[in-house]
Amino acid sequence: MIIEALEILFLFLTAIMIAYLVRHYVFTLTVLRSANKKPSSPADLTFEPTVSILVPAFNEEKVIGRLLSRIANFTYPKEKLQVIVINDASSDQTGKIIDEYKNTYPFIDVLNRDRSNGRRGKASAMNHGFSKCTGEILLCFDADYYPQKDIVERLVKEFVDPKVGAVQGRVVVLNEPQNIVTRLVALERIGGYRVDQEARDILGLIAQFGGTVGGFRSSVLKSLHGWDASVLAEDTDLTFRVYLAGHKIRYCVDAECYEEAVDNWKSYWRQRYRWAKGHMQCFFKHSWSVLKSENLNAKEKIDGLMLLSVYFMPILALLSLLVGLPLIFLGSPLVGALWVSVPISLYSFVGNFAPFFEVGVGLYLDGRTRTQWLIPLLIFTFFFNIPLCLKAFFDVLGSKILGKDKNVWVKTTHSGNGNCYIES
Amino acid sequence: MQEGGWAEVKTLNRIASVLLVESTILCLIASYLLINNSHSFANIQSTATLVIFNVLFVSLMFQLNGSLNRKLCLLTLGNVIGLCWNFIFNYFDVAGTISFGENFNILYMVFFPFLSSLWIVSFWSLSLTILHHDSSVHRKFNL
Repeated sequence: MIIEALEILFLFLTAIMIAYLVRHYVFTLTVLRSANKKPSSPADLTFEPTVSILVPAFNEEKVIGRLLSRIANFTYPKEKLQVIVINDASSDQTGKIIDEYKNTYPFIDVLNRDRSNGRRGKASAMNHGFSKCTGEILLCFDADYYPQKDIVERLVKEFVDPKVGAVQGRVVVLNEPQNIVTRLVALERIGGYRVDQEARDILGLIAQFGGTVGGFRSSVLKSLHGWDASVLAEDTDLTFRVYLAGHKIRYCVDAECYEEAVDNWKSYWRQRYRWAKGHMQCFFKHSWSVLKSENLNAKEKIDGLMLLSVYFMPILALLSLLVGLPLIFLGSPLVGALWVSVPISLYSFVGNFAPFFEVGVGLYLDGRTRTQWLIPLLIFTFFFNIPLCLKAFFDVLGSKILGKDKNVWVKTTHSGNGNCYIES
Repeated sequence: MQEGGWAEVKTLNRIASVLLVESTILCLIASYLLINNSHSFANIQSTATLVIFNVLFVSLMFQLNGSLNRKLCLLTLGNVIGLCWNFIFNYFDVAGTISFGENFNILYMVFFPFLSSLWIVSFWSLSLTILHHDSSVHRKFNL
């Protein structure tokens, strides 16, 4: 009786893992096929709405100047540009650097938050900034990012379509050669942004707003009442609220922005733990709404649910290992045959949860030649993600049971190590 | 080259393609028939890993740049490596079972797919390097 129950559980877990594998396999095939086709005609670049740019900054003295200098060189007409930098009660030189830019460039404005109303997380700062925005389109950039000069034009052109409520650009790791952590993060980003996001956009699934290098139609964001500060993954939360409200999100693979990736395992843990916990909060918040939504079609619902539950996958993979082991010892032939799928699946739930073949094809499409050799090392990020997701899961579960949903926003520290890659 | 010469090259290419496909199929059959183990699913696992490798390789790699024969060469090489890998670990298991008993065999069953995934992922990654865009250069920041 126990063996049969374990077998059914193992079958169920393997089926979920294989479903995710198939999903990413379809993504990879889709992007490969679209890459072989001729590029579509460029969108209407004469569309130039007024744009507000929000930049939240908390102790970003090492990177904020780099971003503001780049914004000052944007090719978008300055008379249609409003830049609001939210100084979130910084205790370093961030405020001074922002003031220097504000005094030089009239379209750059600063919103100073003090300790009484500041340091409450990114969502809170963004809502404060949003209340001062006047543009028809709102774009967001994190302080450690370095966008292309014409990124505004590239992102904004998608809003020609009135159904589009939000847009997302591509994130590329700036400090990739720094060390093994940044190299592995770069692989995750390539899998996620070069293949995963693009495939979702092509297939008409749930393209995800990543919190930065993207933006919204202001009227849509206003109708959604801005960012929800009660969840840690405010970007995923907004993604689903935009779709549930009947709007679409477009992904622009050619709108690139360069980020300074975390460069040590401690920072990696903190950042991914925040993502995992936030994602799980969104799962509990939106799953039911996604299922019963009339604004989403069947494939969007399936993709949406898979996207919402992606951070549960390392836990389910671990569970399948734990369930499969005793069955192998007991000589279950069913598990013997399916056991092969487990390690292949493990390679699918690494980092940003792109399988090795998806990362490989992303690298190929980017014209990379030797970075592929690092792909087998992605297994280490998977093993790192198991305890991380487990902790996030138990924390979310604990807060649900106890009724205390306490969110502590642990900011990712930016060392400014990416600067040298721009200057060279 | 004269027209007759091109025809010879084409014929040789076709023969090479057929031989490479046959070698791949032989590797698959051999992995099922030749690997003997007291656990019945040892040979199933060996074949399953090769099938997974072949499905991924054929469906994804064959869409990339490069001649058909180059891809077939890589596919056959992958199958040969996989077969050798399975054989080596199978005999390692046989030796271990004789020395340490049946528990070693069960441990082998548990870890075999994980060991197999190592060569699949590694070989797949290396193949990408060989098949990279001929016309492309290293990606540079598009600033």
